[in-house]
Amino acid sequence: MAEKHINARGLQCPGPIVQIFKEAQNCAAGDILCVEVTDQGFKKDIAAWCKKAKNELLSLEEEGGVIKARIKKG
Amino acid sequence: MKSEKVLIIGGVAAGTKAAAKAKRENPDLKIVVLTKDRHVSYAGCGLPYYLGDVIKEEKELLVKMPEDFLIDYDIEVLTEMEALKIMPEEKTVAVKSLRTGDVQTFAYDKLVLAAGASPFVPPAPGKELGNIVTVRTVTEATAIKNLINTRGIKDAVVVGGGMIGLEVAENLTLKGINTTVVELAPHVLPPYDADVALYVQKYLAEKGIRVLTGTAVKAFEDNGQGDVGVVITEAGPLKADLAVLAVGVRPNVDLAKECGIALGATGAIAVNELMETNIKDIYAVGDCAENTNLITGRPVWYPMGSTANKTGRVAAINLAGTGHKDTMKGVLGTSILKLFELNMGKTGLSERDARALGYDVETVLVTTQDKAHYYPGSHLIVTKLIVDRKTHLVLGGQVYGEGVVDKPVDILVTAISFGATVEQLTKLDLAYAPPFSMAMSSTIVAAHVMINKLQGRFTGVSPLDLKEKMEAGAVLVDVRSDEEFFLRSIPGSINIPLRMLSERAGELDRSKEIIINCKLGLRSYMASLKLKRLGFEKVSILDGGLTAYPFETE
Repeated sequence: MAEKHINARGLQCPGPIVQIFKEAQNCAAGDILCVEVTDQGFKKDIAAWCKKAKNELLSLEEEGGVIKARIKKG
Repeated sequence: MKSEKVLIIGGVAAGTKAAAKAKRENPDLKIVVLTKDRHVSYAGCGLPYYLGDVIKEEKELLVKMPEDFLIDYDIEVLTEMEALKIMPEEKTVAVKSLRTGDVQTFAYDKLVLAAGASPFVPPAPGKELGNIVTVRTVTEATAIKNLINTRGIKDAVVVGGGMIGLEVAENLTLKGINTTVVELAPHVLPPYDADVALYVQKYLAEKGIRVLTGTAVKAFEDNGQGDVGVVITEAGPLKADLAVLAVGVRPNVDLAKECGIALGATGAIAVNELMETNIKDIYAVGDCAENTNLITGRPVWYPMGSTANKTGRVAAINLAGTGHKDTMKGVLGTSILKLFELNMGKTGLSERDARALGYDVETVLVTTQDKAHYYPGSHLIVTKLIVDRKTHLVLGGQVYGEGVVDKPVDILVTAISFGATVEQLTKLDLAYAPPFSMAMSSTIVAAHVMINKLQGRFTGVSPLDLKEKMEAGAVLVDVRSDEEFFLRSIPGSINIPLRMLSERAGELDRSKEIIINCKLGLRSYMASLKLKRLGFEKVSILDGGLTAYPFETE
């Protein structure tokens, strides 16, 4: 299973989500997406996306204003 | 300088400030402070956080001990002393010791009333039961804290959704207590406008606090052991092993009224700019005294710790006999609070107040970042600006969000205090670097949006009016990207991303009102300009965008 890293720091909504949408299309089920974002709205967005797109949010952490999410494609 | 006797009744914020400042002005004064409570000079505004263990111990709330005043300032502070009667002709006050019951007479040359305010207790049956409490003094707060920590409170009802009520609800929730807020008014935080307060309610619901508005408390029921067990409301019974009454406070004016001191229109003690009452050598300061609204010039009563300190200081300067004078011109009704990660503050007139006063009002809701969007830790905040269409003077503002709001509120305080127009706001040379602000700060952006609206460049629709408009046939067009729309949208809206608007405009019915929505507002504005150029006539924008939308999304 592949693990993909995305740096979406500095991007404002919808930047981070659009990037994840695109990357997720090229992933297979079970692949892991790791993303770093500074847009605080992302926390809500990623939870909503995982729920609606049936992906699994493995972890969501914040450190020094940077949000790090790990997602398993469903 | 003259060695006069100054007697101060009340020893929290205004009383102790008046005492300390008067002594600094004129060290020859003989100053005595009387207080009913055991504590003086305590942080009353900190009590909710003490309940939630943000502040751990009682001693952290006590700014100064009675004995500190004698040692540090040569001011005598007498606790558990209740003033019974003022005799202005003899210039004396009869005072009862609550410890011994003895009554003695204190003479004064200058008297300062800093009697504060007391919580209003709604006249509901059962209000005398145990575990029904108010949160005004350190003693009360310590009792509640002990109750929470020893009795394992599961369910609490907070009666009153004002600032104190919500701060208490937050702190009870942080302690793991299942908390319901019951508010009589149509929304929480009654001084705020409905669009802002409903946003706060949505946020509180997300945090697990149940909020019942437009709901009166009818009675409190016994749990069988003399304590409250159920709170009966208009919306039904609520299980509760703790009920906190935070319905508001009333000025303590009985002592003043009985000796002929005039009260103002608000029911608090009437004072002039020098903080003098109608009786010579008697001053009133802090929560028991009335204020003037700086915008309207009308009497108002905003019992705030910040104002209490200022009025105490003004009275001290004027009574000290140094020849210096100071004045208190008025206040704006500024307030600020934090609930979980949400911050909100207001100053000046609300939209509702301004309309009631007959102003020709224009408002905007503008969502921006609090600092550079790329700087880690930046958050969205919403600025509501209220402006007079005739003069373009800024009348008020409300700022809320998870970012920094105290700075924009204080900018508005300063602007309103000095009579700024919205045009003047746009050119303020505000401090900027990415960790602190945007290059165009939130206040400046909000002022620009307001000017665009005043000049007719766009028409806004309040989120409060959206449902009615859509029911009347208006079409809500969301111009965000399809990814954003997929994540969250307003029920009934259709999605045409801004980039595709020109080619897809044909899908829209020109005879209908088109309301445009995006996340913040900028894309909506660009979309409205685009549609107007394409010949659409009835185009407006949802004020504040999806971020400020105070109702459910899907």
